[in-house]
Amino acid sequence: MINGNLKSSYGSDERIVNNGYKQAFVYGSFLCLAAFALFANDYMILIACQVGILLVAVVGINILTGYTGLISLGHGAFVAIGAYAVTILHNAMDGIVPDALTALIAIPVAVTITALIGIIVGLPSLRVKGLYLAVATLAASFIVIFIVENETFAGYTGGVVGINTPVPNLLGWELDTKREMFIFISVSAVLALLAGQNLFRTRVGRAFIAIRDRDYSAEILGISLLRYKLMSFALSAAYCGMAGALFAYFYARILPEQFELELSLELIAAVIVGGMGRTLGPLFGVILIVLVPELIKVTASVVTNGDTASTRIIAPLQEIIFGLLLIFFLLKEPLGINHIVDRLIRAANRWPFARG
Amino acid sequence: MTMNRRAFLGTTAAATAALGTPMILKAQPAEYIIGASLPLTGPFATAGQLVAPAFTMAQKLFNDEGGVAGTPIRFVTEDSGYIPQNSLANYQRALASHGNNLVGYMADSTGAMKLMAPELKGANARIMGSTSFASELADPATHPYQYVSGPSYQSQFDILLENIKAEGGTTVAFIYSNTEFGRDPIAHGRATAERLGLKVVLEEVTKPQGADIPTHVTKLAQSGAEYCILQGYVTGVWPQLIGGARQFGLPTKFRGTFWGMEKIIADRITEQAGPFLAGYEGVMPYRYFWDQADAPRYQTYAKYAGEMFAGTPLEKYLSTWTLQTMCGLEIAFKTLRDTAEAGHELTADNLAETLAGISDWDTGGFFGGPISMVNNAIGTGRVYAYDPESGLFNPTSDWLSV
Repeated sequence: MINGNLKSSYGSDERIVNNGYKQAFVYGSFLCLAAFALFANDYMILIACQVGILLVAVVGINILTGYTGLISLGHGAFVAIGAYAVTILHNAMDGIVPDALTALIAIPVAVTITALIGIIVGLPSLRVKGLYLAVATLAASFIVIFIVENETFAGYTGGVVGINTPVPNLLGWELDTKREMFIFISVSAVLALLAGQNLFRTRVGRAFIAIRDRDYSAEILGISLLRYKLMSFALSAAYCGMAGALFAYFYARILPEQFELELSLELIAAVIVGGMGRTLGPLFGVILIVLVPELIKVTASVVTNGDTASTRIIAPLQEIIFGLLLIFFLLKEPLGINHIVDRLIRAANRWPFARG
Repeated sequence: MTMNRRAFLGTTAAATAALGTPMILKAQPAEYIIGASLPLTGPFATAGQLVAPAFTMAQKLFNDEGGVAGTPIRFVTEDSGYIPQNSLANYQRALASHGNNLVGYMADSTGAMKLMAPELKGANARIMGSTSFASELADPATHPYQYVSGPSYQSQFDILLENIKAEGGTTVAFIYSNTEFGRDPIAHGRATAERLGLKVVLEEVTKPQGADIPTHVTKLAQSGAEYCILQGYVTGVWPQLIGGARQFGLPTKFRGTFWGMEKIIADRITEQAGPFLAGYEGVMPYRYFWDQADAPRYQTYAKYAGEMFAGTPLEKYLSTWTLQTMCGLEIAFKTLRDTAEAGHELTADNLAETLAGISDWDTGGFFGGPISMVNNAIGTGRVYAYDPESGLFNPTSDWLSV
C-alpha cells in the first residue's frame, strides 16, 4: 500500500506517531486540551469530562470486543462497580488515611476489585461466544444494579436514592472544581489510550488478536484461551472500573439509574461506530455518541430560542436525526469513523499524488 | 459665579455619581430567564409533552402581569430524555448561555434534583423547582436553593394516615414499588402509623410495573389490612392489584399519593377494565382544575387555556401534572417578584431567603387557604375519592396540614 511513510530503520517502524500529519494531530490535540482547560466555560468542561470518562470505558470495551472478539453487554456494570467501590473505599478511609492519599489508594483498589469481578463475569466466555456471550454478560448488569439498590447494602451504596461522592485529593491537590477534574480526567484518558495502544505491541495483546481472528487456531499455536480470555475480561473491566472511579469523583452524586443497560449499549455503540480494534476508534466513537447529540441540541436551541412549543416538536426530531447519523456512518464506513480519518490522513500524507 | 478647576471636577464627579450610580446599581437585563429540563423524549415523554404547554401559558400570563418588577420573563426549555446527566448538562448550558439573566431552573426528576443539588454553589447556584416530591429535597440545610411544590411524600403519607385514623381505621398495609420514590416515605410512614396508634400489618415491595400481582393480593388478604396505601406507581398496579383485590372479594380500602391521582389515567382504566376504582382515595396537594369556584387563579388559567389551547384537550382541563408545574412556576415567580420589589438583587442567596420566608401566601386557589413554605415545601393536601360514574375525584376531607 502506498502510504507516504518513509521508514529507514526498525525504530521508525516501531513509532506510534509515524508521520508528520499524525504528529500534528496528536501534539495539536494536546495543545487543544491545554487551551481547553484554560478557556472553556463550565458547560464545555462538563461535556468534555463526559467524553473523557466514557472514553476510558470504551478503550476497555475495545480491548474485549475490538481486539479479542468477545462481546459484552454487561460493561456498564463494571463502571458501576468502579464508581461505587471508589466511593465506599474513600468513605471507609475517611479519617483513617490522610486525605492526600485516600484517592490514590481508593482508585487502584477499586480498579483491582472491578478487574477481579471482570474475571468472574468472563467465565462464560470459555464456553460460549458471540450473541450467547452477550446474553450471558447481560446478567452482570442486572445483578450489580440489584445489589446496589438492595436495602441490605444501602448503608454503603445509598440504595435506590444514590450516594453523595467525596472530593478527591491527589497529594494535596484538591480537585474540587470541574476544571481541575477535567485535567485529571484528560490525563487519565490519554494514558488509557496510550496503554491500550501499547498493549497490542506486546505478547498479550497479540494473543488477544489471535483469539479474535480464530480462537481454536490460537489455542493450537499454544495460546491459553482460559488465561487470555479471562485476562481480556479483567483488563477491559479494569478500564471500566477506572472510568467508574472518574465518574464518581466527577459527579457530586451517583445514582443506580446512571449505570443501567443503556450505558452498556452506549459503550458498545461507541466502539462499533468509532472503529473496533483501532486505537483511536473509541475516541471517535465517544465523540459521536456524546458530542453529536449535544451539537444537535445546541443547534436546535438556537433555532427555537428555547421556545417551549417549538422544543416540543424539535426534541423527538433530534433523536431521529441522531439515529439517522449513526446509520449513515455505519453504511458509509462499516469499519468505523477511524477508517474515514485514516483515509483523510493518508490522502494528506500523499498529497498532491494519489488519494483514496 | 465663576467655576474654577476644582469646582468643575467636583461638580462633574457629583453629577456622574448622581446619574451614573443608579444606572449601575439598577442595571437590569432586558429579560429574566427561567430554564427548564423536560422529558420530551424517553420513558416519560407523554408526561413531558403534556406539561410543556404550561410553560408557554405561564410565560404569557406572568408577562401580562408585568413580569418581574417590569422586566419580562422568558422560559427556555430543553429536552432531558429523563436522564439526570442530561438535565445537569442542560443546566450548565443555560448558565453558560444566559449568565446572570438565568434566575431560576425547573428540573424534571428527583434524580436530576439530587444530581444537581451539590453543584448549586457560588456563581452556579440558582433557585430550582421540579416535578419531585422527594422528602430529601425538603431540607433547606442540605438543599437551600431547591424547593418542593407541595407536600413531600412523607407529608402525603402523614395526611393519608391521619385521615385513616380520623375514619376510625386500625390496620394499614404499605405496598410500594422498588424505586426511589416508592421507598421514600415508608420508614417515616411506619413511624407516623405507630404514633397514631395504627398497626402496619404488611409492607410489600413490588416492581414498579408488571408485578407478580396474585402473590401480593394473597398477602394483602392474609394481612387483613383495612387500608392499603400504594406508593411509587403511576398507573402500573391499579388494574391488577385493586382489580385483583376486588375479584378476590377483599374489603380493603385503597389509598394513593399524588402520582396516583390523575383523572385522565383513572378514566382510561375505568373505560378499559371497569369501575373497580370506585372508592379509591388519595391525597392531592392541589385543588382539581374543575373546582374553580373558590380559585380565582384557576379561573385566570381557564381563560388563558381557552385562548391558547383551543381545540386541544388542555382547553378545558389542566391535568394534575400540569397544575404541579404551574404551582412550581408560581412559587418561582412570587419569589422573584418579591425579591425584586424589595429592592434586592436576584441572586440565588437572596431568592433562597425570600423563598424560605414565604408565609400566608394566597395562591389563588391551588390550596385550601394561605400557605407557608416550611422546609422549602408546602405541607398541605386534601383527600379525594374517585367516582367512576362522574369521572371526577371528589373531596372526602378538609384541607389537612402537617
